[in-house]
Amino acid sequence: MKKLVSLVLALAMLLSLTAAFAEDEVVTLKVSSIWSAESEANRKPMLKTLEEFEAAYPNIKLEVEWYEANAWKETGETLALSDSLPDVFYWNAGGVLWNLVGSGDILALDSYLTDDIMARMEPGLLADMTFTVDGKEQVYQLPYTKAASMLYCNTELFTQYNVKIPETWDELITAVKTFRDAGVTPMALGGGDQWPANMYTDIIALRFAGDAACRAAYYKTEGATFMTQDWVDGMAAFKQLIDLGAFPEDAASLTRDESEVPYFAGEIPMYVHGQWFSGSLSPEMQQKVVAVKFPAVGKGYDNQYMGGAAEGFSVAAYTEHPDEAFIAAQFLAENLSKNGYISGAGLPAWKYDFSAYTDLNPVMAQIKEATSTADSMLLWGNTALTGEDATLIGDTVYDVLTGEITPEQWCEDMETIFE
Amino acid sequence: MKRVLSNKWSIAVFVLPTVLFFTYIVIIPIFKSFYYSLLSEIPAKVGDASEFVWFENYIKMFTPGRRNDFPGAVLNSLTYAALSVFVQLPFSLLLALILSTGIKGESTYRNVFFIPVVISSVVISLLWQRIYKDLVPAIYDLLNIALPKNGFLANKDTKLMAVYIPNLWQFVGYHVLLMYGALKSIPTDVIEAATVDGASAPRMALQIQIPMIKPMLKVCLSFSLIGSFKLFDTPWILLERANKQLPALSMYVEMFSNHKYSYASAQAMFIVFECLAFTMLLNFIFRDREGIESRKGRRRLAA
Repeated sequence: MKKLVSLVLALAMLLSLTAAFAEDEVVTLKVSSIWSAESEANRKPMLKTLEEFEAAYPNIKLEVEWYEANAWKETGETLALSDSLPDVFYWNAGGVLWNLVGSGDILALDSYLTDDIMARMEPGLLADMTFTVDGKEQVYQLPYTKAASMLYCNTELFTQYNVKIPETWDELITAVKTFRDAGVTPMALGGGDQWPANMYTDIIALRFAGDAACRAAYYKTEGATFMTQDWVDGMAAFKQLIDLGAFPEDAASLTRDESEVPYFAGEIPMYVHGQWFSGSLSPEMQQKVVAVKFPAVGKGYDNQYMGGAAEGFSVAAYTEHPDEAFIAAQFLAENLSKNGYISGAGLPAWKYDFSAYTDLNPVMAQIKEATSTADSMLLWGNTALTGEDATLIGDTVYDVLTGEITPEQWCEDMETIFE
Repeated sequence: MKRVLSNKWSIAVFVLPTVLFFTYIVIIPIFKSFYYSLLSEIPAKVGDASEFVWFENYIKMFTPGRRNDFPGAVLNSLTYAALSVFVQLPFSLLLALILSTGIKGESTYRNVFFIPVVISSVVISLLWQRIYKDLVPAIYDLLNIALPKNGFLANKDTKLMAVYIPNLWQFVGYHVLLMYGALKSIPTDVIEAATVDGASAPRMALQIQIPMIKPMLKVCLSFSLIGSFKLFDTPWILLERANKQLPALSMYVEMFSNHKYSYASAQAMFIVFECLAFTMLLNFIFRDREGIESRKGRRRLAA
């Protein structure tokens, strides 16, 4: 009897030990993601990606915390101060990413990036995710999408008011005047959030000053300046739109969400915004809206785009499970790229054969097509610039919008970032 | 119990946990912020080595510059403080005096005035956002009056006032309740004696009730002033992003958007010093008068 009891006890111990070891094999990673609102275009694709990850890697458990985009930016920066960033997290590229790379919060991913992984990624997207630290150029983020600013036109309103979809600046001005005369607000803008106004000024400045000058200024390279006639002309063109009444009268106090409501309701014909906006369009609106490149001004920069790989997933430098965290970050980036495009939320940053999908968002497909032949893609000023420079470009554009400063004063104010 | 409380060691034992907690969450952070405010900027971790620049950040705060908003922010907070003291508090006092006369529905009014105080500032801000964006424009439209350029919340001449109004409105009930409580605690025989002597309501208010609730008025003044200098939540929600037109907003933007930790710490210290200075000033103003007034009140009572 004693022997039997001992055997049972030994077996029980063995079982519990096995169970304990099995438990140990599951690695739990903390993940921070934006798209907390159900209405976000990327919310569903992200949820699907997380499901796919769960199925593909049962030994890695992801605990996801959701944030609103601006709230996460501020929370993330605060967490970084105390080395408390989650294992894997969403973050912007460019200067915003450099802030965390410079302070040693982000893991360099080069040792994990095999030729196979690199071959699956769209080429040229890592420029704003690669930084030189201690003389070593390394990749600190993996993109899940490629961004691009587009002009969204509601064809129904263009047809109703007999207006041509603008391809040149003059045609844009004609369209604005025609709509305004008919009592229709020509363009949507949520200036209260500041950055939606930068969407307009960035693309207009790009048309007037070109990629090279804008890139130099936004990345503060030697010799860069805002004190040129091209910059003044760009901001003056934005001012011209304001003066013509292109935007809602209270554009400066509207949030982005508020400003988009009348566009979704089919009351506003034009909107300059990122490619993610197409994912927020209802199936009905997707049939009415076309995404075209911002009108040409004839300075030779008409096929250049604002955007590029501006967002991705990074791994915290101090994660306890760097291998698993990389697996998660890479999987999220690659599969959100696929799911995001299928659902119409974003342009893919990874290669994938979409031919089997026949019901893709037509507006997103237009953007994919248009940007595939882009001469260049440049990150937005407020993403490329960092800290107070990024705040300044938001503040000053807002001041132009409210009429507190002139285009010339905007250039003078922005020039102070080089001091 | 009396014996226990008269023993200083017993008092120390009871007070110690609170003192330790208060020191940990208030006193130490203040000294830490002061220390950071004397350092140069480093875009790295809190606690990383940096060099002392002494009062450079404080000088920078008040150095004139086209985009240095801080002096303007301080002026704006002083304007708001003045509005609180000269508009909000007198109005609250008037309401408290009326309520304390025992009008019909006294408790209902008291509760209604207090409702905005218990509602979260975020809810209040969103409520007023709709008022400014929908209701007021509709009224203006009806009356055929032109709205300010860019709307109330983005027009540089109206936006701060548009932020002050909800705050002034929200905390009227709070001050009414404090003052009402103090008024109700005035002995009824004083009021009755004054009534028998034929004192009119305004005279009774000016010469008996207000002097007798001065300690509470001082509390209200302190809360009101300190609240004005720290104002953050309502303007943060109502105004455009990254607005720096009030000291607390400026501090937040410098810290979390611009990553100027030392400079933001200096601004935080300025707000702390400003609150301390005004509290001391109030103490000074009310110092002797409290004793004098209560003696005067007692003499009136004896007469």
